[in-house]
Amino acid sequence: MEEDLKTVAKGKILSIRDLPTLPRVLDEVSRLVENPNTTIEAIAKVISRDQVLSAKVLKMVNSPVYGFPGRISSIQHALVLLGINVIRGVIISTSVFDIMAKAMEGLWEHSVGCALATGLIARKAKLKEPEEFSVCGLLHDLGKVVAAVQLPELHKAVGETVRSQDLRWLEAEKAVLGFGHDRINAWLATHWHLPPTIKEAMALHHYPERAQFYPQHAAAVHLGDFIVRIFEHGSGGDDQAVPLSPLALKILNLKLTDLDSVLDGFAQDLAEISCVDFTPEELSPSSGKACN
Amino acid sequence: MANSLFSRQQHGILLSPDPELAALFRSLWASSELEWLVIGQGRRAMEIIFNEPPDILVVDNRLEDIKSAEVAGIVKSENVYRQLPVILCLDAGDLDQPWNWNEIEADDFLVRPFLPTQARERVHLTLCRATRSMDANPLTKLPGNTSIISRIQDLIDRKDDFALAYCDLDYFKSFNDRYGFSRGDEVLMMTARVIVNTIRSFTGIRTFVGHVGGDDFVFIVPADIAETACQRVVEAFDGIVPHFYDEDDREREGIVSTDRQGEVRSFPLMALSIAVVFNTGGRLKHYGEASAIAMGLKKKAKENSKSCYVLDRRAP
Repeated sequence: MEEDLKTVAKGKILSIRDLPTLPRVLDEVSRLVENPNTTIEAIAKVISRDQVLSAKVLKMVNSPVYGFPGRISSIQHALVLLGINVIRGVIISTSVFDIMAKAMEGLWEHSVGCALATGLIARKAKLKEPEEFSVCGLLHDLGKVVAAVQLPELHKAVGETVRSQDLRWLEAEKAVLGFGHDRINAWLATHWHLPPTIKEAMALHHYPERAQFYPQHAAAVHLGDFIVRIFEHGSGGDDQAVPLSPLALKILNLKLTDLDSVLDGFAQDLAEISCVDFTPEELSPSSGKACN
Repeated sequence: MANSLFSRQQHGILLSPDPELAALFRSLWASSELEWLVIGQGRRAMEIIFNEPPDILVVDNRLEDIKSAEVAGIVKSENVYRQLPVILCLDAGDLDQPWNWNEIEADDFLVRPFLPTQARERVHLTLCRATRSMDANPLTKLPGNTSIISRIQDLIDRKDDFALAYCDLDYFKSFNDRYGFSRGDEVLMMTARVIVNTIRSFTGIRTFVGHVGGDDFVFIVPADIAETACQRVVEAFDGIVPHFYDEDDREREGIVSTDRQGEVRSFPLMALSIAVVFNTGGRLKHYGEASAIAMGLKKKAKENSKSCYVLDRRAP
């Protein structure tokens, strides 16, 4: 019975055609791509603040159509390889959440915060290509977004279970669905031919010790998620701290005291990303300009 | 010929016993643009087609000695002729039974009664489509050698100023040896995208990108942006190419392999070498000059194991 639900749910998850996003970043990118003097760097910087747009460009550039599936993990590289015409096509075909927009804002802030914190962790651990770690952080809860779109009733039931039973989102998912967003992440990453680093980070950010090939990526996102929750920046769907995997620090060769400077750095940068709110621009008192 | 779709006079062969059809085709084009050789019998025509292949072949299904599908089959089954576009002329009744277009490799068909304007445009479309797809590189779908040479010669003939850049990959062979051809193809696909998108990002100018074959590419841009274009292509390529190696090779920034003599050799990560030839003041007369100068510059570019570009600074 449970297996049946899982098969049906997986089918629905993978059949997603139209993944909407929030209007703020989409509007900003739309303006950029219409400007003939825009640069790929400028577009990449903005897209890197939106988990859905980032996922879309990585999915596209890693599709077998382009001939190098699973190779590209950087938004900047993805945009260079897709080219402005394709980027424009992706942007104009992306819709926005209507009724769920309000409920999604917290998750968007949480993902941007996690991207930032994960990047800081990677720099602290002196890992190569910290930008790739930021992408892993940005996409770590994408499964929650896709579940909200493709399995709206079940998604609602998970939210209710979180509140009525005071559970973490992941625990509630397992209670209602029998599997969590980490599993959904793994399905999506495989189906979309995302690079193995991103796939493992998305699938195992709750259990970095289980990562077979890229434990550093999973561990960095795990710590990023931990940090952004300490600061209560945005919302992953529940307001609980994640249990810290004792091995995460060890995997990255970090000491608990190393986290202090990461926390300081995050607090400083938080002012910057706090400007990236996801309410439509006319409602927002602070203009995005100050953040650039 | 100023507004012509074609850069030179086109030759067509029409195989038809129908004088009305022949008259129609001859009336649709000036012979300086598209000249038709009309042959009333099919079998007799084969030798002419094989000896002097036309730019387009139109075959009437009313031929008495051979079916139009069979003519198409003969032409298309030979690799040296299969680029020749073939249009069939049918009667409505010929379509009562479905045709197997997998076996009959025709490019298009016309149905009686013929509408003159439609016949004209279908022939144009078929000719243009044939030149487009004729020499596209099968991997990257970029224009191949024939298009590259004709584009360069065309620019030279018009005495246009331009910069012609020849790009190739250093250590591509050792990458192929280590990872196999399909991984090598991934790198070529990536390189094509990098060059195309970088060159296209210069808006409002005429540019061209072609794939000579293997790891050789060319692009043509106005002379004044050539250096910026090279810088951007090299920068994008160098940023992306490490991701096409396995993690351990990426870490050590190269490949270590043992050759047939048992000697351990190491190769750096692949790099892009670009040689740029300028045609200013009509100094070039022939395509061959451009490629000869470029080959000389390429040697210089190859002396550097990192990605680099060399500009031909010789005065015109």
